Amino acid sequence: MTTRAAKTIDPITAAVISGALDAIATEMGHKLARMSYSSIIRESEDFGCVLCDREGRQLCESSQSTPLQSGPIPGYIRGINRRFDEIGLTWNAGDIVMHNDAYYGASHGPDVAFCIPVFYGKELVGFAVTTAHHLDLGALSPGTVGIVDATDTYAEGLRFNALKIHEEGRVNQELWRILADNIRIPRLVLGDMQAQIAAARLGEQRLIDLIGQHGSEIFRAASEQLMDYSEAALRREIELLPDGRYEAEGWLDGYVGHPDPKNRDWVIRVALTVAGSNIHVDLTGTSPQVDKPFNMPFEGTVDVAVWLTIRSVLLDSSLHDPVPTNSGLFRPITITAPKGCLANPIFPAPVIGRAVAGNLLADTVMRALSTVMPERVSAGTGNLKAIAFSGKRADGAPWVYIEIIEGSYGGRFGKDGLDAVDTLYANTRNNPIEDVESHYPLRVTRYELREGSAGDGQWRGGLGSIRDVEFLSRGGYSIEGDGSLHPPPGLFGGEVGTPGAVVLNAGSDHEAHLPTKLAFRQATPGDSIRLIGPSGGGYGPPARRASAARHQDSLNDLTGAD
Amino acid sequence: MIPMLNVVPGIHRSEAATQEWLAGIDVGGTFTDFVLQNIATDVVHVYKTQTTSGDPSVAFAEGLAEVCAQASVAPDQLAAVLHGTTVAMNAVIEHRGALTGLITTRGFRDIIHIGRHQRPQHYSIMQDIPWQARPFVERRHRKVVTERIGPDGAILVGLAEDEVRQAARELTEEGVESVAVCFLFSYRNSVHEDRSAEIIREEMGEVFVTTSADIAPQFREFERFTTACMNAFVGPAAGSYLGRLTRRLRHDHIAAPFRVMMSNGGLTTSETASKRPVTLMMSGPAAGVVGGQRTGKLVGRHRLITFDVGGTSADLAIVTDDGVVEASARDTYVAGFPLLVPMVDVHAIGAGGGSIARVDAGGAFRVGPQSAGADPGPACYPRGGTEPTVTDANLVLGRLSRDLFLGGRMTLSHAAAQAAIARLARQLGLTTMAAAAGIISVINANMAQAIRSLTVQKGRDPRDFGLVAFGGAGPLHAAEVADLLEIPEVIVPLYPGLTSAVGLLASDLKYDEMRTVFMAEPNIDAKRLREQLADLEQGLRGRLAADGVAGAEISVSRHLDCRYTGQGYELRLPLPSDHFEPAMLVGFHELHRQEYGHASDDPIEVVSMRITAWAGNRSELIHGGTTAPRMPQTIEDRGSIFRQDGVLVSLSTKHLHRSMLTSEESLAGPALLFQSDTSTLVPPSWNARVADNGMLILSKSRSEGPQ
Repeated sequence: MTTRAAKTIDPITAAVISGALDAIATEMGHKLARMSYSSIIRESEDFGCVLCDREGRQLCESSQSTPLQSGPIPGYIRGINRRFDEIGLTWNAGDIVMHNDAYYGASHGPDVAFCIPVFYGKELVGFAVTTAHHLDLGALSPGTVGIVDATDTYAEGLRFNALKIHEEGRVNQELWRILADNIRIPRLVLGDMQAQIAAARLGEQRLIDLIGQHGSEIFRAASEQLMDYSEAALRREIELLPDGRYEAEGWLDGYVGHPDPKNRDWVIRVALTVAGSNIHVDLTGTSPQVDKPFNMPFEGTVDVAVWLTIRSVLLDSSLHDPVPTNSGLFRPITITAPKGCLANPIFPAPVIGRAVAGNLLADTVMRALSTVMPERVSAGTGNLKAIAFSGKRADGAPWVYIEIIEGSYGGRFGKDGLDAVDTLYANTRNNPIEDVESHYPLRVTRYELREGSAGDGQWRGGLGSIRDVEFLSRGGYSIEGDGSLHPPPGLFGGEVGTPGAVVLNAGSDHEAHLPTKLAFRQATPGDSIRLIGPSGGGYGPPARRASAARHQDSLNDLTGAD
Repeated sequence: MIPMLNVVPGIHRSEAATQEWLAGIDVGGTFTDFVLQNIATDVVHVYKTQTTSGDPSVAFAEGLAEVCAQASVAPDQLAAVLHGTTVAMNAVIEHRGALTGLITTRGFRDIIHIGRHQRPQHYSIMQDIPWQARPFVERRHRKVVTERIGPDGAILVGLAEDEVRQAARELTEEGVESVAVCFLFSYRNSVHEDRSAEIIREEMGEVFVTTSADIAPQFREFERFTTACMNAFVGPAAGSYLGRLTRRLRHDHIAAPFRVMMSNGGLTTSETASKRPVTLMMSGPAAGVVGGQRTGKLVGRHRLITFDVGGTSADLAIVTDDGVVEASARDTYVAGFPLLVPMVDVHAIGAGGGSIARVDAGGAFRVGPQSAGADPGPACYPRGGTEPTVTDANLVLGRLSRDLFLGGRMTLSHAAAQAAIARLARQLGLTTMAAAAGIISVINANMAQAIRSLTVQKGRDPRDFGLVAFGGAGPLHAAEVADLLEIPEVIVPLYPGLTSAVGLLASDLKYDEMRTVFMAEPNIDAKRLREQLADLEQGLRGRLAADGVAGAEISVSRHLDCRYTGQGYELRLPLPSDHFEPAMLVGFHELHRQEYGHASDDPIEVVSMRITAWAGNRSELIHGGTTAPRMPQTIEDRGSIFRQDGVLVSLSTKHLHRSMLTSEESLAGPALLFQSDTSTLVPPSWNARVADNGMLILSKSRSEGPQ
């Protein structure tokens, strides 16, 4: 549903308002990063800050946002609205709504949104929203990653479905108490939530000021124009593609070695149809949903993975004029996925570990585009892993620390793949080793590229990384990831890349390979965990690789086995 | 009034009567600027010449000889030669540095390659990552050795000296000219790095060696290692350039001390600059900010926004009561690489006189960041440019004089500007005038937005600040940008096109040192903190002493970077004395309240300490040298276009030479003031006056005009 603006405005005012909106979102991001306590927000930047119009359509996002955090925000608002309709609530001035229900638009439970309706006078004019990944939400084991034994969404931690934590200016203290009583590290998590609220409040105030400057009618017209602009930019690129249906499939490991075959080797099937300036993505043929937390919410994960990939290929920011990231970018794209498949699960199927599945979906969408955009895509990317470390300090206080282990990109037209980076819809940052060791009883003993692992090709894949982390005191860990069995595919004759791995006590006589989906397990001092990132697939036939490039790789010790 | 001795710290004038000239030389991308100032009489000579980009020392030496000849100043009359340079920055931007090697902790060969595992751009498959695409050290020259320091500084694994020796031999064989030594946690204990540097010197002779703890003793290994590698990468080139300059000065019989500007806004000796060239990245822009700061001081203003607008970019910085604002270590980048050295927070945006206005493929109106530069330049320049630019818009609106641009050195083509803007106007469906006004509106809004990010977003109210406008285009836009932010006053220095060179003359000799400590309440070890503070201070005093500064001339300030335990960003808490007491940390709560609107009872963590030692420059620069007062006399009145209440109107606008303005009376806008390197616009409802010392001050009229 789009309301056409009653009024059109001149391009100059539109440019001024567009710049102001970006600046507001970025200021929200700075405030959130600076005020927050946990490293997953302040160092890894696993958060999103967005302003939406009164219909919940995204107008802008903070530049530091991780796409997987900012992209789903309009879905959160739709979900809250749906819940409000069901129970007869409305948005009022002074409300702050907390939300993380993956069956009501949220991306997954750990990414909690704080949503402030913005009123200009008595008129609802928009929403200021922040999302962030929280360290712990009271699931069965410490941390919000590696809850891989959850069989339904109730097991994944606290669920907040459109809860007014502030109602018309009154703070709901009972709700804060529930949080404090159910979260293992309440000081950090509640501090992070306060930071989210402060950042959203800042956005609210700045948006009111902006509308005060221009008037709500001009603001609305500018908003429409901005979304129309982004939509038109994407449509123009789609129109350049030949109409047709382009298919690809991608494979997830699932639970390697699991006795029940439906828990292994999940396929994602993408049929991407270009018709004029529209793209339709059909996920029919994707594996059925599972009683494991790797199902992907259709709204909040699947939609974001699809549009973000199409956008990153067709409107690649290193090659294209800047295009504002807003809801206009969704308009040319439609998606279908059969109910009950991995990409459209039925409540209460668990979803908390959906990140790696969604990233494989993004990779598969990119491969579907490869026949029509061969010079703008990469060969198969290496997927990510997340690990939660936890334990108790000398004084008995619990600690939780989450790390995201990067993948790598496949080879590209004219360029080798990017080494050891977050891929596609994820773009977090690692934690400095010097920060980790200064604050947790952990020691990092290796962090290097994985030699000899790139998918060969005219342009080789990027290299994954090897990171070894040792426990200095008793603790525990849990892991969620994928890509340790199925290698990143090659493209146009390039070879496949190399799968990742997790190894306990590598090099010792009690070395053991661990699955990438590992429920909480205890660690004793001296236990070390090797996290190996997959290396990307090659692009083009290896025979065409320039001998100078091979020589450089050899000089740089990148070709030998590790 | 005028200090006769020791005007520039560390420079003792043996013959006070004769050595009375200071020379400031700022080498920019296009021009090399010279300012000569007589300390005793305040007489000033300026000169500008084309930069010799192949070897900037050529224009430096020839220009210095020229300006000295023009001023009849003999080489032995110079008291100091002060220099702003782009040599380090250019080596990074053009990726032309030494063949560099790295010796690092075993297991961590690729820290500078993996970085923070984040892509610079979210939405791009084809992007390059600077440190992967253009590494300072190729992987084959990155050697690992056995050693490990722990987070508390304890030696966990001793240094395998034979491996260092072996690595040094390999690097020699590979032809490496410069080496960085980067070990984990060296900021807590640098013994392994220091010993390795010794071994490298033994094995490799006169090679350039940098250790990460020496260059930036702060946590965050990727950023520290990158800083050290960048230093090693630019070291030999910077050293050879400064060496050439020193020899050239000697050859020209200039015995005066030679000082170089650093990114922190302080001067250093050429010896120190050669060892730490990574501190020179923002040399010129930092000098500009110091020049802007002094401009404000001369009219009694201490809270300033410096607004340096050239052809391609607008460089913005903030000065508060505490001095020039520095970039936070978390947000300091050069050419896309993170850098952990103190830098003036110069915020550059792609907005200048040459910024091109266009309608993009999607119909959005954009001004900049693409620029027509100096060549071909705006459409109105006689160099064949056809793209409509900000300068063209100003000309079409009657805000520039076609005959008095750059003091009449270049005649602008009104017809060409008109034609270029008219083409754009047709695309926009606007009149030519509306399109031209639109260009100005957008570029001004972009600049105001950038100022807002440095003020409002950091809790500073721009209305408490004055705007110091310089660069070729700064004074033309300053008042209207000030209007957007309700900044009441704009100050234009005497030589707006030479502010960096002037700033050099006004700079202190200054060094900073930071060290990461990580101590949290209740475990604050006050004794250790005091010892470390004293240790850092001693080091800085030693450096200043080596530069010839007497102990009594040295000022020291001390800060602790603190946060609540668990947070990731620090706030800078000033320490009132060198005798640290844990009770001093209480001030952090108030600091946090100011910054974020609330304080907490969480324990405070001291992340790092920071010491600055400087020897102040006591010269009062640059005093007017004003001539006898003349009555304001217009050259002519012309119609110029302004936007008033959203409507474009043509107002009769006075055109004057700046020198015609007297200090006795104030001139009501609209008016245009011309001088050789810029034009100043006084919009309607603004007044202009000249202070006794020649500074031009624009202020907003109290009463708004007739409407």
